[in-house]
Amino acid sequence: MSIEYVPTICPYCACGCGIYLITKDGKIIGQEPWKEHPVNEGTNCPKGKNAYDFIYSEDRLKMPLVRKNGDLQETSWDEALDLIASKLKEATPEKFGFIASCRNSNEDAYVMQKFTRVVMGTNNVEYCGRLCHSPAAAALIPAMGSGAMHTSQPEIELADCFFLAGVNIQETFPMITRRVLRAKAKGAKVIYTDPRKTATARYLADIHLPLKSGTDAALINAMMKIILDEGLENKEFIASKTAGFDELRDSLSKVDLNEAEKITGVPLEKIKEAAITYAKAERACILYDQGMSQHYVGTDNVRNHANLALLCGHTGKPGSGINSMRGQINGEGSGDMGCLCVFYPGFKRVGEESAKFFEEAWQVSNLPAKPGITYIEMLYNCPYLYVVGADPMMVIPDVNNVKKALEKDSFLVVQDIFPTEISKLAHVVLPAATWVEREATHTWIDRRVQKIDKVIDPPGEAKPDWQIICQLAERMGYQDKFNFTSSGEIFDEMRSCVPQYKGITYERLKNTVGGIHWPCPSEDHPGTPTMFLEKFGTPDGLGHFQAVDYKSPAELPDDEYPYILTTGRSIFHYHTGAMSRRTPKLLDEVPRSFVEVNPEDAIKAGVKDKDVVTLETRRGSIEAEAKVTDEVPPGLLFVPFHFPDSLANVLTISTLDPKAKCAETKVCAVKMEVKQ
Amino acid sequence: MKGDMYIARSSDKEILEKAEYGGAVTSLLKFALESGRVDAVLAIKARDGNRYDGVPVLITEPEEVIETAGALHCASPNISRFLKEYLDGASDLKVAVTVKPCDAKAIIELTKRIQINLDNLLLIGLNCTGTLSPTKAKTMIKTEFEADPADVVAEDIEDNKLTIRLKDGTEKEKDLTELEERGYGRRENCRRCETNIPIMADIACGKWGTTDKNKTFIEVCSEKGSDFIKEAIEAGKIKVEQPSSDAIETVRKKDEAAIELARQWQEKDFASLTEMSGDERFNYWSTQFSRCIKCYGCRDACPICYCKDCVLEADRGFVPPGEVPPDTMFPMVRITHVMDSCVNCGQCQDVCPMELPLSRLIFMLNRELAGIFKYEPGMDVSELPPLRTVTDQELSLSSVEVAL
Repeated sequence: MSIEYVPTICPYCACGCGIYLITKDGKIIGQEPWKEHPVNEGTNCPKGKNAYDFIYSEDRLKMPLVRKNGDLQETSWDEALDLIASKLKEATPEKFGFIASCRNSNEDAYVMQKFTRVVMGTNNVEYCGRLCHSPAAAALIPAMGSGAMHTSQPEIELADCFFLAGVNIQETFPMITRRVLRAKAKGAKVIYTDPRKTATARYLADIHLPLKSGTDAALINAMMKIILDEGLENKEFIASKTAGFDELRDSLSKVDLNEAEKITGVPLEKIKEAAITYAKAERACILYDQGMSQHYVGTDNVRNHANLALLCGHTGKPGSGINSMRGQINGEGSGDMGCLCVFYPGFKRVGEESAKFFEEAWQVSNLPAKPGITYIEMLYNCPYLYVVGADPMMVIPDVNNVKKALEKDSFLVVQDIFPTEISKLAHVVLPAATWVEREATHTWIDRRVQKIDKVIDPPGEAKPDWQIICQLAERMGYQDKFNFTSSGEIFDEMRSCVPQYKGITYERLKNTVGGIHWPCPSEDHPGTPTMFLEKFGTPDGLGHFQAVDYKSPAELPDDEYPYILTTGRSIFHYHTGAMSRRTPKLLDEVPRSFVEVNPEDAIKAGVKDKDVVTLETRRGSIEAEAKVTDEVPPGLLFVPFHFPDSLANVLTISTLDPKAKCAETKVCAVKMEVKQ
Repeated sequence: MKGDMYIARSSDKEILEKAEYGGAVTSLLKFALESGRVDAVLAIKARDGNRYDGVPVLITEPEEVIETAGALHCASPNISRFLKEYLDGASDLKVAVTVKPCDAKAIIELTKRIQINLDNLLLIGLNCTGTLSPTKAKTMIKTEFEADPADVVAEDIEDNKLTIRLKDGTEKEKDLTELEERGYGRRENCRRCETNIPIMADIACGKWGTTDKNKTFIEVCSEKGSDFIKEAIEAGKIKVEQPSSDAIETVRKKDEAAIELARQWQEKDFASLTEMSGDERFNYWSTQFSRCIKCYGCRDACPICYCKDCVLEADRGFVPPGEVPPDTMFPMVRITHVMDSCVNCGQCQDVCPMELPLSRLIFMLNRELAGIFKYEPGMDVSELPPLRTVTDQELSLSSVEVAL
């Protein structure tokens, strides 16, 4: 009998917490705290505490499936891959799209984008980063040179002021809440913007600004105007480290504070208090997430928070900066690897220069030099679609419309660990190995690269994602470009052409608990916990102000659809719920969808707690159980997006941010009726 | 017989080279396996040689026992949980287990709850004056000792000093209380712990009462332990001598000094809670528990919480499911179910993501109850916990006020 403590990293969010899996005779029988891990120090959130149950779910995909006479039927790898190869050979570059995932490893993601670019000849490769943090790249690359998190997780404790911009961290990043609590114990102040009175608002925030959904830019403009009026801007920092301040000042001179109060619904005194608290801090830290990004003005929102940080000089110090909180295990990494239609690996912008660079690196010719189309555009415009570890049928706004588009597809391949909503529509379904069934690296929220070892064998004939793609590439005549025999070989090729990862090796990762932060330019470099200590990553090394005018949400309530609908997450579930709904202890906590309704609205609409209500927008309707609570203000309804049978994204609007092509899943107009 | 004492040293050259304090513990564990007295040894090993990552290992080959030689201070694995969860409470496996006092107490409490079969265990007790959190220890070594944590080859706690030895042979020493006042040093529960010598185990092994760091002082604590030691001596696995009266006196004095220090910490830590007014105290705990994210980490780590079908589970309907923070009943039930038997192992606080002072609270309540019920958890397997034995008359006592 052999019982082993095998260290690994939690498969859920982007914090990258260490856990021990306990194995006995090739099976995982438990998990234990890994107290030495620097991210979580032996502690876990509810999901991290139930990290592996889903692996053993009965309905894991174990064999390739091919649609025959309308049904998905088990088949051999040979048949499935031959079929895919023959179909994909029909596709012209612009008709093909590849959707990778934040669940993929770096090695998987690297191989997927290489396949798309080398074999299919297109930049139509995307991942779900498009749906959450694409505004980070769009706003922060011009502003500061990178969209990645500035600081490292442990350094967050050093801040003396937090601006939690639209991130309910108590529920969505509890392991970072620890850091905030430690800082609070030393006197740090917490400012929080969120229309909902969440646990974060009630128990963590010192100043909660319950702004109306989608009015972030107006709020920040008001805060910046107040800071200028009070003379609290960091003049020395602005003069020595930034550009474009005059334009910002001119733009702010037009801001009317009383108007801002009306737009945001936040009393001016509170906005002032927040502005002054942030400006007077020694080391303020903006942490932000989808509350800012998932708007058609997401890029503007991020730009404006960057303006605020630059105005007060709150960057370039450990624990400060503007920090996009990537939500998934490889939210950072899949983007770093180039699964975006405008970036080759290492955020090299798609163009002649990058194409040439990679032609040389990969020893190929004719790499695509024009940007591809983005995630949601691909769903509607690419009839040959290859989807890995993603369920667009749950996460894309206006899902009913997506379904219509996908049903028209000539060929849809879905590669995943479970049957999903989108796999129901697929022509071929391929079974993938999960998380600890293969060796691979991921890159977590603070650019932290860690390696996960293989702990158990995948079930049935499931395989690591990268292996499947390599075998397909081989069938399509590109064996020599995809002849990887291990994930380590992929990593080595990747780091030879991605400078941020150049100094990171499997050997180093094996010996470094907690991993290494990129940029890591050489093998003797310790990695970079904090970005921009000396200068920004922009071509001139300066931080660039980008003035923003407030624009109201795309669809606002009217007589017919009188409420604002906003969507989000529960601490007990994870995104599409594919993993958390298959984890009994998590499902028991929140077994079904719900809609939060303010008591005043409930009375007006005749809704009682636990009533089933129908929610309807111009796109479609769903049913959900009413949860009457003052967590939401009057006029706002909240629905989590974890449940396929009461799917929030049937309701949401598909208006896209013109710059980042992220959708406005945080605001639309909805009506509510008690189900008769 | 029980109460015998020895100064012991391994007879094995290889063990003497690798182990500390004469390698008696390593030799005894190896002998337990070789002699067929046990089927397996459960001990702590530095994973991949990393002193900050001590993990339980189950060993069945005698020659592998040496991998567990040497003391690890910067690790606090949950041994009793390993026995309960992964070895089915040693129901059909004879195991020699190395235990610190809190591990031994936890095993005894779980035995009372029929989760562990003590008859199948040989408890090799290790004297202990505290362990350190690995992450805090590494920061402390960097900032306070100005050394690279990777260079440390040994730690030692003696006479309220923490000493580290580096691979180049140099030693660095700091005052433990000063380190602890700055937030470093031992885990909070360890500072408050009054049990340094695990006399509830079968034998208790330590360095006190020995000189030159090359011998182990062994106190025999049970008949099982006595038989085992005798066999080991007869088999020539350890060489023993009788401790001098000075040595025995040294053990007593060191133990007393450590207990005194622990009492001072208890007084200080508990005063921070008891000195608050009723309202302040209520607000303090409301604020603390408002941070709870219902991870169940404290419950799962607790050696006293053993129910397979816990009333706090979401599907039991006792606490409304899906809420963060959970209803007040969640922490209340947790606390009241374990406070009569808390062994102050600190595992609950170690694993709390919101850093609630759980061990401080529960152990404080336990100290009050221990006085009221004259019950010391973890000491005697035949003494049942107050929650099991409380009488109607005791339940109706109205003058008892426990300061939550």
